[in-house]
Parts: sequence; structure tokens; C-alpha cells
Amino acid sequence: MNENEFGYRVRLALNEGAERLDYKTAYRLEQARRKALGLHRRATAPAWNAVPVAAGGPAFPEEGGASWAQRLGLAAPLLALVIGFIGIYQWQHDQHISQLADIDFAVLLDEGPIDAYADKGFGALLQTNTEEL
Amino acid sequence: MASAEELSTFLASAERRAFKQAQFAVRDADSALDIVQDAMLKLAENYGDRPAGELPLLFTRILQNTIHDFFRRQKVRSTWITLFSALGGRDGEEDSDPLETLEALAGSDGAESAADKVERSQVIGIIEEEVSRLPARQREAFLLRYWEEMDVAETAAVMGCSEGSVKTHCSRATHALAKALRARGIQL
Repeated sequence: MNENEFGYRVRLALNEGAERLDYKTAYRLEQARRKALGLHRRATAPAWNAVPVAAGGPAFPEEGGASWAQRLGLAAPLLALVIGFIGIYQWQHDQHISQLADIDFAVLLDEGPIDAYADKGFGALLQTNTEEL
Repeated sequence: MASAEELSTFLASAERRAFKQAQFAVRDADSALDIVQDAMLKLAENYGDRPAGELPLLFTRILQNTIHDFFRRQKVRSTWITLFSALGGRDGEEDSDPLETLEALAGSDGAESAADKVERSQVIGIIEEEVSRLPARQREAFLLRYWEEMDVAETAAVMGCSEGSVKTHCSRATHALAKALRARGIQL
């Protein structure tokens, strides 16, 4: 038997031995592999994507324009939130003015309930609103 | 660049052989597992951007270097142990029989009751023992050439020696292994 043939037969035996690893060893090897793959993903992920990857995987494809799209994707919700706040503030302000106008009309036209004039709180409200306007 | 899937496939195909090679060298299952894990992490972290085709050679080289690092650390540690041996008892790493692990591994198929499987398992265990007993450089050359199926040039590159040295190591390893197996009644 020549060297190559002998090497081939030993190889078959070693392969068989490697396949017969106990469960614990095979499990630890699998864990090591998973750890290495996690490191590979972090090492190869673009810089802007580092945090989303750590949180569970890339959210955008790793292509040239992705960085721009990612930034726009992050900015758009923030912009919508700010616009929403401004809208809510404006709407509440309009409502407030509308209520004051209703009260003013009621006072000017003497359509308000008579009890209102006896209420100290109503007087304070009128005073406050006058100062605000 | 190797994708995560390609890296995963490669590691899954190589991890058992890598473990066995490390175990043949260091003769300790836990240390062998640590070595394989270190090699995997180094490959993924430092060479994850290499093409998938380069991974086998890179991983083999990293694994061999990690095994050598293990022995260097062990040498430093044993130097300190020798220096301070008068201060404490000798735990003696040599107390454990390095072949016990292999025997245990070979015996892990105990559930298979068929006589031929048991016999086969014993033969594999003996072959692994004898491979483990080869001198380090001969074993490294033999395993790279015949288990990892590297050619002489690749083996020389991984081992950091000439192609002539690889051939010499392989030839000596083959003869020594064949002789040892014959002495134990195994004819391949």
C-alpha cells in the first residue's frame, strides 16, 4: 500500500470518528459557530447600521444608496411628529379662541345664563381671557 | 466577500475536523473546544471580508497558529509553575491520561450494540490514539495533507516550512503510523 492510499484510509477513519462526536461537544461547536457568525455580521455591517444589527438584524439592504434612505427613513417620522405637535397646538389654540368668542358673543348679546353673572369664577374667567387677548 | 451563509456552511463543515485536530494536538477536549472557538472568532472578525474560496486555507492557518499559541502559553505557565513549585503542591497536568478523552469519545457509541459497530469504533479510537501520538510536526503535516486534502505547497505555506520538509514529515508520519497500527493488530 502506498502513502496516498494509506492516507486515504486513515482519512476515512478520522472522518468517521469526527462524525461520532458526543452531543455536548457538537453543541459547544455549534455555539462557537453561532458566536463567530454574530461577530461576522457585526464586522461586515456598515457603520450606520451597527445599532440596528445589534438589535436584531439589518433593516435595510446593504447597498450604496441605503445610507441616504436610512437617514431619510429616520428623519421622516421625526418630521411627521413635529408637524403633528404643531397641528395639535394650532387646533387647540383655535378652539380656545372660538370658545372665547362664543362667550363674548353671549355676554354682548345677553344670551348667557343669568347664574353665570353671579358666579365669581365666570368673572375671573372673563378677566383672565381679557388679559390673554 | 463571503456571506454569512457561506461562512456558516464552511464552519459547519470544518468544525468537527478542526476540533479533532486540536484535540490530537493538545489532548484535552475543553482546550480543543476553546481553540476551535478562538479560531472561528478570528476568522469571522478579521477575514470575514475574504472570498469564500479562501476560507479553508485561512481557517486552517488560523487553527494551527491558535494551537501553537496554546502551547506557547502553556510553556510560559509551566515555567512559572516550576519556579513556584516549592510554594504549592504539584497538581501535575501529566496526571491525566491524554488518551482517556479519546477512549471516552470512542466509547460514546456504546448505545450501538452491534458487534461490528463496536469493533469499528474501537479501531477508530486506536487510529486516533496513534495519530495523537505522532510527533507534532509529523502529525500536522499528515493531517493537513491527507485529512484536509491540501497539496504539498499549501501544507508548506500553512506550516511555514519548505515543501521538502512537508514530504519528509508526511513520509515519516505514514510509516510511523502504519507501524504503530500494525503493532496493535490493525491493518488498513
